[in-house]
Amino acid sequence: MAEKELPDVENAASTGLQVIGSFIQAYMVCPRQAWLMSRQICPDEDHIYLQLGRLIQRQSYSRERKEIHLGHLALDLVRRDGQNLVVAEVKKSSRASAAARMQLAFYLYELRQMGLEAQGELLFPEERRRERLVLDESLAAEVAALKQRIQTLLRQPAPPPPARIQFCTRCAYSDFCWA
Amino acid sequence: MQKSLYLFRSGRLRRKENTLCVEAEEQTRYFPVENVRDIFVFGEVDLSKKTLEFLHEKEILVHFFGFHGNYVGSFYPREHYNSGYLILKQAEHYLDPEKRLVLARQFVAGGLANILQVVKYYANRGKELAATVQVIEDFAAGNLPACGTVEELMAIEGNARNYYYESFNEILSGSPFAIAGRSRRPPADPLNALISFGNSLVYVKVLSEIYKTHLDPRIGYLHATNFRRFTLNLDVAEIFKPILADRVLFTLVGKKMIGPGNFDRQGPAVFLNEEGRRLYVQEFEEKLRSTFYHRRLKRHVSYQTLLRLELYKLEKHLIGEEPYEPFVSRW
Repeated sequence: MAEKELPDVENAASTGLQVIGSFIQAYMVCPRQAWLMSRQICPDEDHIYLQLGRLIQRQSYSRERKEIHLGHLALDLVRRDGQNLVVAEVKKSSRASAAARMQLAFYLYELRQMGLEAQGELLFPEERRRERLVLDESLAAEVAALKQRIQTLLRQPAPPPPARIQFCTRCAYSDFCWA
Repeated sequence: MQKSLYLFRSGRLRRKENTLCVEAEEQTRYFPVENVRDIFVFGEVDLSKKTLEFLHEKEILVHFFGFHGNYVGSFYPREHYNSGYLILKQAEHYLDPEKRLVLARQFVAGGLANILQVVKYYANRGKELAATVQVIEDFAAGNLPACGTVEELMAIEGNARNYYYESFNEILSGSPFAIAGRSRRPPADPLNALISFGNSLVYVKVLSEIYKTHLDPRIGYLHATNFRRFTLNLDVAEIFKPILADRVLFTLVGKKMIGPGNFDRQGPAVFLNEEGRRLYVQEFEEKLRSTFYHRRLKRHVSYQTLLRLELYKLEKHLIGEEPYEPFVSRW
């Protein structure tokens, strides 16, 4: 009988490493966070800002259509606006709006790959603010490059070391990183 | 901050709307469920499956204790933090004897280092403990690094602890209690009863924290894993027993907050009575709530948080990020 090879932990974890929206957002803020999330090492769920974020996502725009799962995409909100399909991402604050913008751009990019053209909208209910986003050529190229960089990162056997940044103070991972 | 709920009296624990309700003969009390971290059941408490389902939904652990305050078991709701990656890593470090030994040694080293802190504290206060300090230092610096197996580690740990427990007589000289060696199941004297009770609280506190991490409590490194019972919490508790349980014991006995009247004798066995347990638990919770400045986190943390941080350090070791160093008290 041939000896069965044991699956290698590293490979087992990296085979299913598909980039998803939350990794994009995480990577833009802190690459370490993206790596941890890819291993399902989720942060402290009792963290107050996480609970708040979930609450806001659940309670805002309750009249509009909510949460659509399309393959690996988890879209907060999808609606028709005349001829256009609008995909929206709900965020607690615009503190990390650059990251939120790339996450949304990623959704639009992935939808385009599936043959769906859509427009994007960033929603900050607490700030009563909306922001339009259109996926143009340069943004699409940015997303493609970003995806590449993230894939490279996720293949690393260990996460990048923690680095103290402005987001650490309110991050649900900070106890884990700095313990 | 979430709290632990201690039920000493007999009664009924049930769900009422979205609140936890404790019905006892004297009174009915309500506890907002979101504020409850875990529940310690000492009394004859009735609860139904519906209650357990509610507790599961709210991710609350329930720890059960027997008539004498002995640990019976825990209701451990289905895991909510799942990381296949981390579980594989945890198992990998168990299956590889070298990797396992590294962690097992750290747990013993951490335990001994904290024992030394406690003993030195009293040595600095004029207690005759130089010999004890010397013996334990020898174990920590000499025998420990030489150990090649987990069994040897366990033996060293046990021997060092025997010297340590003997020193309780000196630390607590002037108190009505004396200890003649460690005795368990059942404890033979009040100090042993206090040690046992305190240790079992540390075990389940660590277990409650493990639930909030990705670690599997069934895979331990120092204490043999048999996949049927929790062992990782026993490992991590080694580090915290001296600075949590034993310090609480010294406070309670040293300050005469607990006396001979707080114990029940049953033949050769001695147990804390209900009043004694209440006093212990009060002091214990106070200890867990007390805070100190954490250099790396750059903020004050409580001992309760410290338990969680220790588990995070272990996770980081398992994913190959940073070698695990046990927490050693500085005071």
